[in-house]
Amino acid sequence: MNENPADLAPELCVLAAAVAGLMAGMFLPRRRQWPVPAVCSAGLVAGLAFAGAAATRPGLMAFDAFSVDAITHVTRITVLGSTLAVVLLAAGRVRGHPRESEHHVLILLSALGTIMLGTSSDLLVLVAAYLLASIPAYALAGFGKDAPGTEAALKYYLMGALLGVLMLGGVTLLSGVGRGTAYPVLRAGLAGAPPAAVAAGLVALLAGLLFKAGAAPGHYWVPDVTEGAPPAVAAFVTTVPKIGAFAALYRFGAETSPDGWAALLAVVAAATMTLGNLAAFGQDNVRRLLAYSTVSQAGYLLVPVAMAGRTDLARPALLYFVAAYAVTNLGAFAVVVAAGRDDLAGYAGLLRASPLLGLSLVVCLLGFVGTPPTAVFVGKVLMFGAALDGDHAWLAVVAAVNTVASVFYYLRWIVPLFRRPAGPPRRARGATALAAAAALLSLALGIAAGAALAA
Amino acid sequence: MTFLPGWPGGLAVDGLSAVLLVTLGAVLAAVLAFAAGQGYGARFFGLMLLFAAAMAVTVTATDLVLLLMGWEVMGAMSYALIGYEWWDERRVRSAGVAFLTTRAADMGLYAAAGFAIAGAHSLRLDDLAASGTPWRDLIAAGLVVSALGKSAQLPFSFWLSRAMDGPSPVSALLHSATMVAAGAYLLIRVHPLLAATGWAATLVTWAGAATALVLGAVALAQRDLKQLLAASTCAQIGFMVLGAGAGALGGGTAHLVAHAAVKSLLFLCAGVWLGVLGTKRLDALQGAARRHRTVGASFGVGALALAGVPPLSLWVTKDEILAGAGGSPALLAVGLAASVLSAAYAAKALLAAFRPVAGGGAFRVPLAQQAPLVPLAFAAAVLGALGLPPVADAWRRLLGVPDGSGPGAWMFALSGVLAALTVGAVMAVRRIPEPAWALHWLWLEDAVSAVVVRPAFAAARGLARFDDRVVDGAVRGAARGVQAVAGLAGRRVEFRVGGLVAAVGRAARGLGALARRPQTGQVHMYYAQAAVVLAVLVVVAVLAG
Repeated sequence: MNENPADLAPELCVLAAAVAGLMAGMFLPRRRQWPVPAVCSAGLVAGLAFAGAAATRPGLMAFDAFSVDAITHVTRITVLGSTLAVVLLAAGRVRGHPRESEHHVLILLSALGTIMLGTSSDLLVLVAAYLLASIPAYALAGFGKDAPGTEAALKYYLMGALLGVLMLGGVTLLSGVGRGTAYPVLRAGLAGAPPAAVAAGLVALLAGLLFKAGAAPGHYWVPDVTEGAPPAVAAFVTTVPKIGAFAALYRFGAETSPDGWAALLAVVAAATMTLGNLAAFGQDNVRRLLAYSTVSQAGYLLVPVAMAGRTDLARPALLYFVAAYAVTNLGAFAVVVAAGRDDLAGYAGLLRASPLLGLSLVVCLLGFVGTPPTAVFVGKVLMFGAALDGDHAWLAVVAAVNTVASVFYYLRWIVPLFRRPAGPPRRARGATALAAAAALLSLALGIAAGAALAA
Repeated sequence: MTFLPGWPGGLAVDGLSAVLLVTLGAVLAAVLAFAAGQGYGARFFGLMLLFAAAMAVTVTATDLVLLLMGWEVMGAMSYALIGYEWWDERRVRSAGVAFLTTRAADMGLYAAAGFAIAGAHSLRLDDLAASGTPWRDLIAAGLVVSALGKSAQLPFSFWLSRAMDGPSPVSALLHSATMVAAGAYLLIRVHPLLAATGWAATLVTWAGAATALVLGAVALAQRDLKQLLAASTCAQIGFMVLGAGAGALGGGTAHLVAHAAVKSLLFLCAGVWLGVLGTKRLDALQGAARRHRTVGASFGVGALALAGVPPLSLWVTKDEILAGAGGSPALLAVGLAASVLSAAYAAKALLAAFRPVAGGGAFRVPLAQQAPLVPLAFAAAVLGALGLPPVADAWRRLLGVPDGSGPGAWMFALSGVLAALTVGAVMAVRRIPEPAWALHWLWLEDAVSAVVVRPAFAAARGLARFDDRVVDGAVRGAARGVQAVAGLAGRRVEFRVGGLVAAVGRAARGLGALARRPQTGQVHMYYAQAAVVLAVLVVVAVLAG
């Protein structure tokens, strides 16, 4: 058994940064807590460096519960990069806040749980990771202590509690009929288990993971939290936990391959993308619009998950799409943070008032649609390829129809940008730079897709 | 030098090419010196040099492709030079007539090249005779047509009349060492091919003989010095073509060289008079030769040589040709008749130029215009030496043609006496019949205009009308039809499609509203919905598993 802690160096870096941040926050004066985000950022950067180094080495298994393979590498790099972006995005907003250090530490702990979600290949570790990823996020949602934030936190928590309990039940059921909790054991055990018990356990397990992924039927929290929580937190909870959830879903599907997996996930994917797109049609609040957009994107992301083990295209499709989605979603939220407006009318004339910000938003929204040469386009192409290759042509058709329908509400946001500006633009240099960087990264990932996929 | 990869050929200088190159160079130098005295611009000299260069390529080419290139460039340059004074519409039209006529005949050369590739699998001029039937006959036919056209032989002669509208130095070059000489050169060069077909050599022989006779008569009837000289060129080239057909290659080449000297000399003299006296009409040129000694004497020598008066050059070379054609009495008779005619028209020119008239003092001619006349006159006088037995043998060896028996002494005597008598008779009679058919060059241009040009234009107009009414009409009709259909579609179909799109939009909005219904904001409803959906998923999983 491999018990070398160095194999989990990125996770340990994040943990160390979180602990250091917590300790520093206890002793630093309340008004001078700037070292905390610095320490947290340093920990994330160090984690990124270790993750990048680990990506060049062959895969292995650590502590019999953590797989260090391509999925883990992409999960680590995407989660760490996204978390770094969120920390930078939030740093200005919570500067001087009485609980500034807690904010950053909670973000780091949730990110640590997310990485573990994507890394674990054991149901018990998965449950622990689920809790670690969720509980700090509940606290973050209510961080503002205002009415919408409190309501959002409560709904988030209640949904998470119900579906988490269901997940625990599912894990119990599966470990009972499968005689183990490690995926390789389950693979053998589930094959001979009673199908109805396996089906019930599988759906119960999925309930928790779909909650983290923001997919139906665990998506109810997404619009409320996105609208009610502080914008940076909204960006975090709609981006980071999903990465780990999809990685965990894919890993479970690919490594245990239970019966009926593809059909179950395909139904969930089709329902999620359709629901998200249709509900986004009438939204005038950009945060709710983005929330439903993330639900529909979760639907697309479930397509390669459903195809896990059926085609070689599924894994690159999932990994590329999830990274592209994270970059694009963070860019869009950075624009919302920088513009400081939640209503669609507030974005009139943004392209003239602040060309950089407007252009970044156009790139990100067109990226969501899947317009070349953005990163999501490549992800979507791979996703369609995986669906067709996995003999689920109907799913590809549903995804294509949904993509066409989604153009409508993204354009509803893009069109006002070209109007005459209503008032002077708001200055938010950091968020603007982050939005521009995300847009550029989206274009770069789209253009250099060949090289990125080959690596 | 190889021009086309895989197709041997290129440029090479042999005896015949060398003779023609030297002739070309000498005449070109004389003509350019003369033209420099008349003060032409850079465009003129550029075109003249290109013209001469094209002729040089033509005579040194060993394959049909290069020959064709030189041939075509020469034709284009002749157009540019005849129409040199482009502001005069008649000259430009003349250039067009000359160019289109020679160009039409040139099609034969293109066809010959194509047939050569198909039949002989070689473009080399040497290999053409070896191709099989019917290719050999087709190649020969194409070559003969293009050579007769370039050399202004019957029935293409009329273009040379129109070419007289060009400047005199152009005429001097075009009538002597280039253009018209190219046709004769080509026929001499491909004589083995003509001989191999059998019919082609005979055809060429009689075409040359007919041209020599008929255009001789035409020349005799002309009232314009340059027109007279032009028709005489056709007639003299006719002798060369006769020689090329009958196998008198040495005589034909010698005639070409001597004629080049004579004719360039005469045209330059005509150019001097045209420049000084402003006319080329024979009746207005009365006594012109007496008014400047050098020009007059040169013209006298040239005209006497043209008449074939012993011992000047053309007397000897023409007899060489006639001796080579001696096998056929009819041919000999035609040739002698043509000789008599040439003596007659030369005498007519002499008569006009030397007739003593009262008044009209001497005039001055620039040295640059006088200087070239003297060596040309000298050459016109002495080139007959090429026919003297020892020189003639060397000449034949140079050209690489078989030794033929030289003309008998009786032939020399007969033609010399005939020429002298004719000149004397014309001088004595002083009146020359000028039949209208001869004056108007047999109405060849009108005939071509009636038979070829007008029908072609009529057909073109008819086709244009067909294009306008039928083809264009169909296109316009189609456009109108499409517009009508589009209007119909716009009224009947667009409305329904638009309605359909609007319905889809309404349905999508309705579904969107429906999709937001579950989002009640109340957690117990979320719980209930999630539980129901999960139960449904369990059913799905059981059924799928």
